Amino acid sequence: MTAASAPVRERPPRGRVHRGRVNTRRLAPYLFLLPNMLIFAVFTIWPALNGFNLSFYDSSNGRTFKPVGTGNYSAILSDEEFWAVVRHTLVYTVGFVLISTVLAMALALMINAQRRGRGAISAAYFLPIVISPVVVGIVWRAAFDRERGMVNQGLSAVGLGEPGWLVEPSLAMVAIIVVGTWIHLGFYAMILMSGLQSIDGSLYEAARIDGTTTWQAIRLITMPLLRPTLMVVVILATIAGFQSFDFIFTLTGGGPVSATTLMVQYIYENGFSYPIEYGLASAAAVILFVVVFMVTFANYVLGRRSDSI
Amino acid sequence: MRAQTTIGGLACVALAATLAACAPGTAEPSSGGQSAPATVDFSSFKGKTLTYVYFTDGPDEKATRDAIAKFEQETGAKVNLQIVPFADLNTALQARLSGGNAPEVARVSDWHPFADEAVDFKQYFGSDYASEFSAGAAGTAQDAAGHMYAVPSDSTINGPFINVDAFKKAGVAVPTKWTWEELVTSAKKVAAANQMPYAVAIDKSGNRLSTVLSQFGTVMVGKDGTNALDKAKAAKALTFFTDLVKSNASPKDFWLGSGSKYSGANEIFLAKQVPVYLSGPWQVGAFAESAKFTWAAVPNPCEERCGGFPGGKFMVAFKNSKDPVLGAAFVQWMNRAENQTEIDKTAFWLPTRKDLTEKGFDYPTHDADMKVFVSQIRETPEDTWPAGFDPAFTNSAKALIAETDKVVAGQQDVATAVDNVSAEIDKAIQGAK
Repeated sequence: MTAASAPVRERPPRGRVHRGRVNTRRLAPYLFLLPNMLIFAVFTIWPALNGFNLSFYDSSNGRTFKPVGTGNYSAILSDEEFWAVVRHTLVYTVGFVLISTVLAMALALMINAQRRGRGAISAAYFLPIVISPVVVGIVWRAAFDRERGMVNQGLSAVGLGEPGWLVEPSLAMVAIIVVGTWIHLGFYAMILMSGLQSIDGSLYEAARIDGTTTWQAIRLITMPLLRPTLMVVVILATIAGFQSFDFIFTLTGGGPVSATTLMVQYIYENGFSYPIEYGLASAAAVILFVVVFMVTFANYVLGRRSDSI
Repeated sequence: MRAQTTIGGLACVALAATLAACAPGTAEPSSGGQSAPATVDFSSFKGKTLTYVYFTDGPDEKATRDAIAKFEQETGAKVNLQIVPFADLNTALQARLSGGNAPEVARVSDWHPFADEAVDFKQYFGSDYASEFSAGAAGTAQDAAGHMYAVPSDSTINGPFINVDAFKKAGVAVPTKWTWEELVTSAKKVAAANQMPYAVAIDKSGNRLSTVLSQFGTVMVGKDGTNALDKAKAAKALTFFTDLVKSNASPKDFWLGSGSKYSGANEIFLAKQVPVYLSGPWQVGAFAESAKFTWAAVPNPCEERCGGFPGGKFMVAFKNSKDPVLGAAFVQWMNRAENQTEIDKTAFWLPTRKDLTEKGFDYPTHDADMKVFVSQIRETPEDTWPAGFDPAFTNSAKALIAETDKVVAGQQDVATAVDNVSAEIDKAIQGAK
């Protein structure tokens, strides 16, 4: 019997024979993703590309456009107001990320240690994220009112006076960090709680047998195993920090003396507040995108590097 | 994998480059549109429809709807009134114009951004049409070449309101003429007698602060579109005003706490926290409904000059709409003497027509208050009209507010603020060209 006469059934090269079945299987996920991707492309990618395009034009009415090359970028980068806005945004974002992450961590540990009512407590802390940011701003504006606000009534009851939360530039920055943290705290705590619950309980049991203290358990077991989740929270908080606008606009209007005007408000005021400057607003939006992308990427890389050490 | 990433990256760059090469919108202002007929025949509009994009300040909506009903009855045309929030007006209109969906008519606060799309009313109603309006109002509706791209439909003039009950309780006479010093002295006395925390409240607005500048003798933009700020007079005005706010005689928290946004101090006045409030006649309707005390409009304080600072709205008709002739005719009809009178009476607007301003008319309610504002138009210096409606005014006013904020917050002195405002006026004038 020769090889030629033997009916050898050769294994077909991948993807050639049974092409129809294989391709259908390969295509299926993309088909499922297609509706979402279409919406994403039409309402996110296309406007973003258009915004990038607009940043090279000058338009004060949205109808007539004059190409100005990189003129809008030069105008923004030489604008003192822009750099002041960048400083405010950085101060806010750093403060917000640090405080909200630390408090969310503490809250997650606290809720996770509860035996009863964990769901109810979680829901209560989660609530602010589902409230309209505009409403949050208005409510906190009333709470921070110097004379009639709840915050100062509490402070003056214990002899701490009546600080001008929305009137003193440095206090206004504190106020927006507090409110930003209040909004996101529950959400970040929920993410961290899911990370905490994925840690194997036997590790803590073994550590307890070895005589570790609670703090040692947190430092040596919880923190290292929670690092990927923590990194997600830091990245989300960083993005949220850079993009903060709506609640600040109703809380302080960007004041006093522009002390709480952040990047998105700067973009909004150039683009939609009269007189309209679409080109400048688009250029500022592109700059914000690049900054957020770089910071997020740096966070990601640093997070991965520390994981691999 | 690396090759795929490279190809993907190159595709993105190519897409972005292609897109960047495509000019958005149009490079040139639009031209064309239906040309103006020799005469406008109102009987030819029967069965036709026009769209009127409108924003409302309150009681004017009913007045406008009543006038529209009368227009529809007289002409047989149909008016589709589309009310949009003021904050969205400019972007909404520009989007419609950009999309080739121009309404026939719109009510706007500044017609300059729409000049290239607007009909020239002089082409429809004759070169003398502008003279039907008071000189100040007519001047604000025309460009340097004399084109009349808008009709001044209603005007405002800033002026103070007082809490009459509080004045009576304090034994302070209701003023008929006063200086700023007398106003503040009286207001402080009234506030003290009524346990009110503040003496004077002023809306946080560049237009309102321009009133103080004008009373101290200067405006920001001159008639010829140049920087007209007299620094010495501006410094005097800002020193007076910022001292008032820093001492909390005018609410400091209100002034600093509203950021870069316009903010009305009407709630402070309505809450009986201040006896004197500088605003304008658009508050009359609201106060008539909400105030739980007797109030009155009183004359502006005089310093170097008297009077207030003007504001107002315009009606524009768009030449690339479906029926620009009907649009232009509707604007002209709404601003005839008899129709403007009816609208003004209900909406508490001040007339823009020369005959109505000179002759006057009685408002069915709060006539005395409205007459005070009408009298203030006559006292207002002429240079405030071009100053308030110049295309450079908005940015100049923003700078005025921002720099005043810094003085109030103790971040700079008045002299620096005035220098900065002057520099920003130059920039605004340059940008408006």
